[in-house]
Amino acid sequence: MKSEVITKGIKVNKKKSFFKRYFGQFDLQMMVIPGLIFIFIFNYIPMYGVLMAFQNYDIFEGMMGSEWVGLEHFKMFFSDPRFLEILRNTFVISGLKILICFPAPIMLALMLNEVKNMAFKRTVQTITYLPHFLSWVIVAGFAMSILSTDNGSLNIALEKTGLIDESINFLAIPEYFWTIIVSTNLWKSIGFASIVYIAAIAGVDPQLYEAAALDGASRFKQIFLITIPSIMPIIIIFFILEVGNLLNAGFEDLLILGDSAILRSVSDVIDTYVYRVGIGSGRYSYATAIGLFKAIISVGLLTLANYIARRNGNSLW
Amino acid sequence: MQRNWFKASALNKNFKKGLKGMRKRRFHWYLLLVLLTVGIVIGCSDSDTTESVEEETNDSESDEAGEEDDLFVLGEEPLEISMFGNYDWYTMPGWGDDVATAWIKENKKVDITAIDGGGNAEQKLTTMIAGDELPDFIWTDRGASVERLREGGALVPLDPYLDKYTNLRDWFGEEGINMLRSDDGKLYQFPNWYNSSPFGNAGYVINKGIYEDLGSPPLETTEDLYEYLQLVKENYPNVIPFETGIDGQGINVLYSAFAEGESPANINNVAVQSGDQLTSIFTDENYIESLQYVSKLFRDGLITQDALTQDQDMVIEKVTSGNIAVFASASPTDHARTGHYNLLEEDSDGGYFMIHPIHKKGLDPNEIYPGSYNMMGWNVSVITKGAEDPEKVFAFLDWLTGPEGQASLIFGPEGEYWDGFDEEGFPQFTEKYYEDPEGLAKVEEDTANFQWNGNSNFLDTAKAKFEETLPEEHRNWTTHWQNTITWDTQYDATQYLNISPIPESEEGIIQQRVGEIFEEARAKAVYAQSDEEVEQIMAEAETAARDVGYQQLLEFQTEKWQENLAIMAGE
Repeated sequence: MKSEVITKGIKVNKKKSFFKRYFGQFDLQMMVIPGLIFIFIFNYIPMYGVLMAFQNYDIFEGMMGSEWVGLEHFKMFFSDPRFLEILRNTFVISGLKILICFPAPIMLALMLNEVKNMAFKRTVQTITYLPHFLSWVIVAGFAMSILSTDNGSLNIALEKTGLIDESINFLAIPEYFWTIIVSTNLWKSIGFASIVYIAAIAGVDPQLYEAAALDGASRFKQIFLITIPSIMPIIIIFFILEVGNLLNAGFEDLLILGDSAILRSVSDVIDTYVYRVGIGSGRYSYATAIGLFKAIISVGLLTLANYIARRNGNSLW
Repeated sequence: MQRNWFKASALNKNFKKGLKGMRKRRFHWYLLLVLLTVGIVIGCSDSDTTESVEEETNDSESDEAGEEDDLFVLGEEPLEISMFGNYDWYTMPGWGDDVATAWIKENKKVDITAIDGGGNAEQKLTTMIAGDELPDFIWTDRGASVERLREGGALVPLDPYLDKYTNLRDWFGEEGINMLRSDDGKLYQFPNWYNSSPFGNAGYVINKGIYEDLGSPPLETTEDLYEYLQLVKENYPNVIPFETGIDGQGINVLYSAFAEGESPANINNVAVQSGDQLTSIFTDENYIESLQYVSKLFRDGLITQDALTQDQDMVIEKVTSGNIAVFASASPTDHARTGHYNLLEEDSDGGYFMIHPIHKKGLDPNEIYPGSYNMMGWNVSVITKGAEDPEKVFAFLDWLTGPEGQASLIFGPEGEYWDGFDEEGFPQFTEKYYEDPEGLAKVEEDTANFQWNGNSNFLDTAKAKFEETLPEEHRNWTTHWQNTITWDTQYDATQYLNISPIPESEEGIIQQRVGEIFEEARAKAVYAQSDEEVEQIMAEAETAARDVGYQQLLEFQTEKWQENLAIMAGE
């Protein structure tokens, strides 16, 4: 390759060689084309829909007949009196989820890795990952009946142990909401998320542990010096994805558990707002504008997280 | 990416020589693929043009239909109609699967197919509009959803048919028709369960066993109620003294106790009448007082602590098991009726009964309205431009709302439970009607989801006539309390019909924001720790609402309301 570049002029050669190379490896390119076509049709063509964000989209007139309004829907969202509150909730709930729900499965995986009794290990793994398969409607239903004032098991337990005198209405006190939503999320997701890490840990070369043990490294030393560094690339990749998802603070969980008006000041995030105000009342342009705003920020965050990770040599791309 | 590229090309180099001869053929493959893609894109965009052509032909057809003079008689030729119920919960049962519709299908040669919303009706409707595949008629709520369709030019005006098929005009009346007319002066909506006399079930249901056990204290004023609830709490620690139903409906019902000549309809409108203006509910003294009362009940543990968070199942469980002392909601009879019969089984002296609405001392008890109704009934059917022959669809709906249609749908085919009509035009019930109440109830239950244009004026009169002939203990519990209490204490809110703006409009956006401020303020007020805090919450809500343009919304609503009053006055 190098000699070719040198003998024929650089600019001309590059262009020529692209097509040359392209058709030269046509058999391989053929395999890529169906995928590209698929992405083009289902991911790129529908993207013209974001134009709606700049229109007063009229469902009867369609895209062509609707009136163009520029950035009005964005302005409307930014000037909504609830805007700051919604943005805060989104970041706080999402941040708490990253802070707590992200490291938790890693810890679970590390702990399970130290368990030598296989039967016990498998049982714990199965029990912790089962909640993942329950829909949010069911999980939220559990949470509601546990936290209910009338016959709720948590209140009964607290009353019987003499910790409180009167039932606490957990789901009507805004201060408790974030704790409730994060812990239900943790319960639901911890087992399933840990599977990846358990698999990664299983791939670590056992010779490393043997050598460390010979050198006198304790269990904790082995975890911190061998296991964690070995699975670091995976942790970082998942972290990047998680950061890219920062504006997705959750939807079903918040919609079901945080629906009451008293909780709205702490439970309303961008997605629930879009659903209620945009889709719920047929304001498609408004919903699209907020969705576009969200997407742009998400791409930015993802790029930023990847840039930081790349400096450590573990980036996604 | 780039690294991979070079790897691939290096790999490819090895194959290059042997594959040279095939390269040309592969190039054709590539061309074919490109052409296919282009073909797909063009194919997709093509549909636009065909749609617009269809629209035009539909227009001309509906015009012709209006000019035709010969009457379409149901049953002369087969008629196929498609419908869409614009509700998430709605799934039409098979047309002809029950005795009533089987008879209609066979004798009137009408076959109805439904387009199912699949649990997300709004989305399905939007898809149908965007794809221009509207069904013949849509069954939906009045107001914004109809207005949106009308403004988009998707609806057929019904006026040309009103004089040809007269059941609607005869039973619903000219005043009602005028109220339902849209801004352009035309009628697009076919009402359901319209009624000229009061109806509705809002009010207070009392647990008889507990009430009598506690010495049957008077329950007339808000003070009586407070004392009674205290008594319940002391003596029955496991019973919920005051149950409010879902969304804290009972809290709205309590508002009526403080507002003479008003109804909880004000709460739904987020506006209170004051002279000829609609004014802020946040500054309304009656409303603030009612919230202070509710928050006191709540603080003292007299109201269900889940009032704003519980779901329907929790309410049903409590009410049907008799685990409540007082139950107030927009329609407490629904579940109290089941609960009543449950409690009766346990104790023949138990059960539920209703009381005359609670009032604040000093107010006229006869001017207290815990609920409201309007003459337009529940919802409407609209005929769309997607209908091939709108006149025939109207003819069917009109027949269905008439005596023969209603009697067949609710009481089953002629000859079983009824036979012919009396001189006043009401069905003459047969002996089987008295002897087989279960079978009769089954007919009505099976057709519940076909009752698109129920005619309360006709059915209530027919049923009341029958009910009168029964001894009291055999009368239906709900019917009994409807006749003795609830129907007399419902407020005629017809004047407030359609005063809500369209969601996308400027006022609609204000309404949505004010609505959220209101909901939050109401919830905060219920949980407030003192009367002063309630006042403060409402004052803050007032400021917040003013900031998002509440006044403009109130002016819009006032204007619409005044228009309604003018129409009702017969102008």
